[in-house]
Amino acid sequence: MTTVGQEQEQEQPTRPALEMVGVRKVYKMGDEEVVALDHATLMIGADEVVALLGPSGSGKTTLCSIAGGLLAPTAGSVVVGGQDITGYNAKRLAKFRQETVGFVFQSVNLVPFLTARENLLVVDQLGRRTGKAARDRADQLLEELGLADRRDNLPSQLSGGQRQRVAIGRSLMNEPLLVLFDEPTSALDTELGEQVMELIRTEMKSRGTAAVVVTHDERIVHYTDRTMHIVDGVLHA
Amino acid sequence: MSDRYPSYGAVFLALKEMRRALVRFGLLMASIGLLVFLILFQQTLQTGLITSFVGAIRHQSAPVLVYSVDGRRNLQGSIITSDLQKKIVAVPGVGSAGEIGQGSFSVTAGSKLTSAAIIGYQTEGLGSPTTLVSGRLAHADGEVVALASSAGDGFGLGDTVVVQPGGLKLRVVGQATEIGYQASPTLFSTYPTFEQAVLAANPDARAALPAVIAVAPAPGTTDAELVARINDAVPGADAVTRADAVASTPGVAQVQQSFQVIFLLFGLVVPLVTGLFFLIVTLQKASSLTLLRALGAPSSALVRSLLFQVSLVLVIGIGIGIALYTPLSSQTLGSIPLSFQTGAVVLWSVVLFVLGLLSALVAVRRVLRIDPIEATTGAGLGR
Ligand SMILES: Nc1ncnc2c1ncn2[C@@H]1O[C@H](COP(=O)(O)OP(=O)(O)O)[C@@H](O)[C@H]1O
Ligand SMILES: [Mg+2]
Repeated sequence: MTTVGQEQEQEQPTRPALEMVGVRKVYKMGDEEVVALDHATLMIGADEVVALLGPSGSGKTTLCSIAGGLLAPTAGSVVVGGQDITGYNAKRLAKFRQETVGFVFQSVNLVPFLTARENLLVVDQLGRRTGKAARDRADQLLEELGLADRRDNLPSQLSGGQRQRVAIGRSLMNEPLLVLFDEPTSALDTELGEQVMELIRTEMKSRGTAAVVVTHDERIVHYTDRTMHIVDGVLHA
Repeated sequence: MSDRYPSYGAVFLALKEMRRALVRFGLLMASIGLLVFLILFQQTLQTGLITSFVGAIRHQSAPVLVYSVDGRRNLQGSIITSDLQKKIVAVPGVGSAGEIGQGSFSVTAGSKLTSAAIIGYQTEGLGSPTTLVSGRLAHADGEVVALASSAGDGFGLGDTVVVQPGGLKLRVVGQATEIGYQASPTLFSTYPTFEQAVLAANPDARAALPAVIAVAPAPGTTDAELVARINDAVPGADAVTRADAVASTPGVAQVQQSFQVIFLLFGLVVPLVTGLFFLIVTLQKASSLTLLRALGAPSSALVRSLLFQVSLVLVIGIGIGIALYTPLSSQTLGSIPLSFQTGAVVLWSVVLFVLGLLSALVAVRRVLRIDPIEATTGAGLGR
């Protein structure tokens, strides 16, 4: 069964995973305006894994949120896998997020009262409901991520590294065109962080899925194809 | 495919959460169950109490009763003189009329001395009991129909009850339910039997005056019209329909009012507990709900999941309440016989379910207010 293919016209697999043109994001805080992102223009290939490197507060999370359809830009256009999401309303954005992108957030990634496997399945259950296909995919992902024997554990019964692996599996459940990782290693020690980055690279490359890995850690760039730098909301590709 | 069973995912989420927080949800269901039980029990107690006080009036056959004004709707205080009786019977619209007398007597029943109310009616159909469950109505002198729930106290079918002093023997020839008066064992007899009891107990009494005149309207006249006509035409007469006679018997309204306050409190507590519980639970899992929204779960699915939980908790809670209530409802509490009240069970179940569901709307509003962007900061909802 085709899942995300039809709308994205997958007959052109070389279409970029993400294109942003002149994207600007201004937060209004009372009278003050914070320009979190300014004139961001970038393109990420269909199977490219890109690092987004910048100091804290430079606009990395804002950029990812806009790319993933969580946040509407103040100006500019956003096209993901050929789908222009710029003018989407909240409902269409939710559907877009559900079908087209994968997320690994900086803080909360798992529902505490669901097991590892259920965390992978829950979004499909609440949305597309592909049933057995989703269950098979969840089992396959847990196997790949070395979590087969942990599938029935609750997040509280897992280590930090295991939780992060479950989150990675969850981000791949909907066969996304683009996965956005927001500081995926920041909560892990160096060794675990390297293992997780290795895993991210392997998983992306074996699927030919594009990814943006947000970090302020220089070492992570070894695992990516390319690095974009961002400082004070300005992107240096 | 995605829309065919749109609720399934919501049910999945709801049940998983409940299963992993069994104690918390179990306690809520138990609390609701206990409250429902208390409501139903009080409702039954109220009905039992009122029935034991005025069941005899509710379940007698006359549609309209005429008291004397100074009787204050109390059988014991009301006396109808023959002069008053003549005027009442003469009012146009009176189809038939008969005397009803009532007295409280010391009796020996089952070899024990106790007190009993005797209600004597002149005309069958105008004051005779309507809830006969065994035997027959009293026809001959010395025959009575007794309150069925007092059978164990020597008022069973075939038992002989002796009026003291005087030694008048009364034989129970029938049993009727819910014909208690003033919470005493109650006996319905013909008017002559009642008179004999009065004279036996008090040989100085010259006659037994009726307490009320039972009347039925002539064809073409309604009960209410008849009541109005008698009250207009006869000063000193206080005519009421049977239902009004029950409701306005001294004490009944006060009992009902006290219970109504209790019901109001319980009726507020159940939705309050439910609403607060789900609001707290929703706030506590805000980060999970935000995460799910960020991952593209529609807010409608999260709302359905919440409403499913609320419904399930209410249904199980109410079920527990009914289960606790059922065995108790067939007991006798002191002298008050209780009975399973289907109407009250259905009414309270529906009312509490609807109120409980409405109370969860506060939590629903919280869910709808979630901004998925907060998943990127981990802030969650609740600002
Ligand atoms: N919701 C918001 N309201 C106001 N300012 C915000 C908001 N989110 C982010 N910002 C500001 O925008 C800038 C970029 O933030 P962010 O994208 O979170 O940076 P990074 O992820 O690189 O740390 C910061 O100055 C931050 O304070
Ligand atoms: Mg950030």
